[in-house]
Amino acid sequence: MTLVYRLIIAILIFFITLDMFEEKSFKNQLNCVFVLVPLILRVLMIK
Amino acid sequence: MNKKITASLLLAMTLFLVYYSGNIFAAQWEDIEVYPSENLTEIKMLSDYYDGLKDTPMDTEIYVFKGDKEGASFLLLGGTHNNEPSGYLTAIVMLENLDVDAGTIYVIPFANKSGITHTDPQEASPLGFTIETQSGERYFKFGSRATNPIHQWPDPDVYIHASSGQKLSGSETRNLNRGYPGREDGTLTEKACLGIAEFIRQENITMTLDLHEASPEYPVINAMVAHEKSMDIAALASINMQLDGVNIALEPSPTNLHGLTHRELGDYTDTLPFLTETANPSQGRLRGATNAELALTGIDKIYEKAYDAGALFVNFDETGHPIRQRVGRHIKAIDAIIQSYNEMYPDNKLEYKNIPTYDEMMENDLGAYLK
Repeated sequence: MTLVYRLIIAILIFFITLDMFEEKSFKNQLNCVFVLVPLILRVLMIK
Repeated sequence: MNKKITASLLLAMTLFLVYYSGNIFAAQWEDIEVYPSENLTEIKMLSDYYDGLKDTPMDTEIYVFKGDKEGASFLLLGGTHNNEPSGYLTAIVMLENLDVDAGTIYVIPFANKSGITHTDPQEASPLGFTIETQSGERYFKFGSRATNPIHQWPDPDVYIHASSGQKLSGSETRNLNRGYPGREDGTLTEKACLGIAEFIRQENITMTLDLHEASPEYPVINAMVAHEKSMDIAALASINMQLDGVNIALEPSPTNLHGLTHRELGDYTDTLPFLTETANPSQGRLRGATNAELALTGIDKIYEKAYDAGALFVNFDETGHPIRQRVGRHIKAIDAIIQSYNEMYPDNKLEYKNIPTYDEMMENDLGAYLK
């Protein structure tokens, strides 16, 4: 079950990163950073 | 600036933040060093009693102090909730000083070994605190009430306690004190509960005391909770504590609240279970700034106001509830329970020494009894 959740988060990380490169607003790009940090920490099972 | 260049820079910043914060979180995984007294008999692991915990983050050390003479046995559980520091600090004071003459005392300083590897999210908990000891400054981590989610994840929406059917919030699935008596096909937390229950059964442990803290607005505070079969001893112990000037309430273990040590260890093993609570404003909902100073001194101006408003179940003034008082109360309770047992069962006494009294702890402070 945990692997399934990590896979879901990995997919989310991929699409949020794509969004960050497509996004025109710097503010929204910065928001992607705040979303990505905890997601990456969770997919790596650090936090 | 070109959006792709900005995104690339922000991605680099993301990776840096992951690296930087990841190192801080990983530092919390290191064990707290303890220095058992020279009278230690042996160190066992919980997995010695239930191999389902072997090589898991919940396997934890059991410090065994066996006297030369036969007698009763006593299990001290610290660190069931690792955001309640007087629990594991009391256990550490015990194992660093204990000398047992008759019977056996077992000390598990970190019952939820996973819980000391992280702090609760959105609580702004300090990562640790420093205590001045006999050998200089010593750093202790501050932990979490629950198993680390990187060890047990995801949480269900609703946690159903297997043996009773009780329903609780899903995050309670990682609360060691809601998982007893545990089960083999359960979560990692439930397996740890099973390990502790198996340890108690296999060693035929006479008494078990689970050390806790509570927020000042919580009604069960500065209290001893006892299963019905432990109530005689608990009553005598609480009376003796009161006569010695340490006020303590006595609460019966509720029969309709499941998963806790004082209920399930009493129902599913032959041990006499007890649980004690001291006051800890650093885990309360009304607290001010959450930092190491609050965890150690228990001084909080907002709680003083709350006390004046009649909102608390414990006295609260400018002296707060310092850690020496909280550890001292637990040590007093340990001694009161053991002496009460000895009075009721004089042919099976548990005798020990080298542990400070409550008054000594208040006078000399906690660090005097830590190596």
